[in-house]
Amino acid sequence: MQGLHLRGDEMEAWMKKAWIAIGFFVLVVPLGILVTWSYGDAWGEWGSVSDGNTTWTPKEYSGGAPLPDYSIPGWENKLMASVGYWISAVIGIIMSVVTVLGIAKAVELWKGHNE
Amino acid sequence: MHIPDGYLGPLTCLVMYAVMAPIWWLAARAMKEKLGDKSVPMLAMLTAVAFLVMMFNWPVPDGTTAHMVGGTLIAIILGPWAAVIGITVALVIQAFFFGDGGITALGANSFNMAFVLPFVGYYVYRGMKKVLGDGPSSEMIAAGVGAYAGINVAAIAAAIEFGIQPYISSGYCPYGLNLAIPAMAFAHLTTAGPVAAVVTSLVIGYMRKNRPDLLDAGAAPAGG
Repeated sequence: MQGLHLRGDEMEAWMKKAWIAIGFFVLVVPLGILVTWSYGDAWGEWGSVSDGNTTWTPKEYSGGAPLPDYSIPGWENKLMASVGYWISAVIGIIMSVVTVLGIAKAVELWKGHNE
Repeated sequence: MHIPDGYLGPLTCLVMYAVMAPIWWLAARAMKEKLGDKSVPMLAMLTAVAFLVMMFNWPVPDGTTAHMVGGTLIAIILGPWAAVIGITVALVIQAFFFGDGGITALGANSFNMAFVLPFVGYYVYRGMKKVLGDGPSSEMIAAGVGAYAGINVAAIAAAIEFGIQPYISSGYCPYGLNLAIPAMAFAHLTTAGPVAAVVTSLVIGYMRKNRPDLLDAGAAPAGG
């Protein structure tokens, strides 16, 4: 599957442009926390297990997400939280791309296996 | 709309995982049949876009926040089954790596955002196109209306999952349907819906104008 190779020269021009546009939105992504700073959470998302039953839900794990709420623990002021948000966006985007390409690869193997 | 751990009782979580299992299977099978060399990198990119747009939160006047999802956008470009894969991937990463959305609630969150949202969005889009015809402006209107419908129906689904907890499992979400549905509906009818509609409409309009071939690349409508 040639499309899986995302190296520069093989990538179509439109896709480069689209990734540049995505890069621009990554630059401004801290707006996503700055405009809601000390404002509250989405409805029903007020904290992992504090309102609910704690006997079987994975409280330890929820507390143990590496970058909880897209932030680096301890980076709490607006500037550092924005940097943490940037880093989270970049990591999340890389993980999204790698995971989808991985699934596509797995599906491709599955397809080959069936033929 | 990312339900955290501890808000849904065990029964709800189990049922939602059970409902999603065949949907994930069908999505993988659809990917096996339809996704090709062009659409795989596109799905990877659109999944990244969905992850990114979900980080753009804004305040809602009732003291909560909201964001769009991007599921209808993927569904229109690559078909709703591709959106199931893309949004589920984003939700899994969000749950395990960023603590956004619960792990026990992942079935429910996937049902709402990775299944209900793109399928409602996609079929409303197609229905609108049938009504409006095939011009560029009807394409944009159909995409916008589809995105608006998709995110709102998904929000209602999430509100029902929250809201039934007081009646079936005590100790979880304490707010009944009478509170959950208006709260979720308000945030999404007034803010997330319109934002999703405008963004989806603009992106689809841009693609239709400049690269109509990409819009047809993966959206094989047969079987959804």
